[in-house]
Amino acid sequence: MSLPASTLRAVLRTPTNLRPLLLLQHRLGLQSSPRNPSSSTASYHSYDHPAPAPYPPAETAILSAALAHVPTTGFTRTALTTGLREAGYPEISLNLFPKGAFELVRYHLVTQRTQLNTRVQFPDHDSAAPISVGRKVRSLILARLRGNADAGVVGRWQEAVALMSLAENIPASLKELSLLADEMWFLAGDVSVDSSWYTKRASLAGVYAATELFQSTDQSTDFRDTEQFLDRRLEELRTVGGAVSGTIEWMGFQGGAMVNLLRSKGVRI
Amino acid sequence: MALIPSLPLKARLSPLAFQLQARQCLPSRRTLATATEPRPKTPLSKTQKEFLDRALRVNQAGELAATLIYSSQSPPINKAHPHLRPLMKHMYDQEAGHFKKFNELLAKHRVRPTAMYPVWHVAATALGWSTGALGREAAMACTEAVETEIGEHYNSQVRELLAWSDELEGRGEELGDELKVLIQDVRRIRDEELEHLDHAVENDAKEANPYELLTGVIRAGCRGAIWVSERV
Repeated sequence: MSLPASTLRAVLRTPTNLRPLLLLQHRLGLQSSPRNPSSSTASYHSYDHPAPAPYPPAETAILSAALAHVPTTGFTRTALTTGLREAGYPEISLNLFPKGAFELVRYHLVTQRTQLNTRVQFPDHDSAAPISVGRKVRSLILARLRGNADAGVVGRWQEAVALMSLAENIPASLKELSLLADEMWFLAGDVSVDSSWYTKRASLAGVYAATELFQSTDQSTDFRDTEQFLDRRLEELRTVGGAVSGTIEWMGFQGGAMVNLLRSKGVRI
Repeated sequence: MALIPSLPLKARLSPLAFQLQARQCLPSRRTLATATEPRPKTPLSKTQKEFLDRALRVNQAGELAATLIYSSQSPPINKAHPHLRPLMKHMYDQEAGHFKKFNELLAKHRVRPTAMYPVWHVAATALGWSTGALGREAAMACTEAVETEIGEHYNSQVRELLAWSDELEGRGEELGDELKVLIQDVRRIRDEELEHLDHAVENDAKEANPYELLTGVIRAGCRGAIWVSERV
């Protein structure tokens, strides 16, 4: 078996009794160092040089098999172990997922986010009745929430929230939430690239997180209560956002008018 | 038993020769596929993505500042020197075109705009207004200082992108169309910025008083703003 130099170095550095484990990982084609799948998708989005899939095939097989057990066993180590066994890997490979059950949560978040563009498709914007960006965002949020229901994790979502709110997992969870908000605005066709880029993403992330939490306790048919909850939040956002932007516009107009008035009086400004 | 006669035929060829022959007999699907569809390009590395991310963000912030500087310089300059009106309008229009271009690129490539957007808004307006109020020479010195920095900045970006292109050609690949177009755009924009520099020098930028202090401060400010916009 030939090993790349970096792997060999890692093997030689580990204590003798642990070396077989590292060699096994290498043979199974698994990565020995945990990567952060969300950090690689953060910046420049290229169309000609597409980015690789967020998870390599081996991890995808394990995690998707494990996710199928979440409705029964929850976001736990048990689900992960069952998934490993089903995908045909020895249980010792659990060491590949140092964050344990949180890896499952993140896998769910990442796959749901990347599949969002296949779940919702909008007609081209030059069609007869263009859909407003707000309507698109609403249907994207609902589609993402339906993804939770389809995966059967709604009843277990509070466990996921508990895992995500652990101090060590908060940065990764927030990152994933911001990426989701970014994805939604992008798919909705929003092209604003000024300060509103930040406010839009922050407010959408807040609304989405609240609605998802509401969904986890929703007992109504077809999540009708969640939909109404979402509509109320979006309406609030529209009211507050309209007031703020109206005020800023008014102030800008008054300032410009004042300067022009002084100029017309001959002041050299 | 009927199979036995066929065995010596195959056995005459070594395994490699047999494979080669088999490959030639079957019109391989791989060559067909490569002939019709373009080869998948190598994904951009993390540092390359980061570079593009930073470059586009800085460029957008710079063009935002440039449009604001010209639009706030124009009223006092136009009032004092009506013959400069077409020049100011021409430079403003070009900057507005650059700003629009980078806005589109940011939205298309999902690059985050700089978080200092409101700060640059205020700073650029203040700079344009104050140099405009100081007079024609000061305004032109401001243009000269800004465009010098921006020209160097765009030049370094073009150099980096061309280096990638060379590296990929060394490996038998080539840069994607979007990056080729980006190089062309950045080159065109750089040339237009340097044209503004020439206009500024023609209009007595060097006679501003105190010239060294004014251009020195503005150039240092530009470099600082570029440094900050790359990061936040």
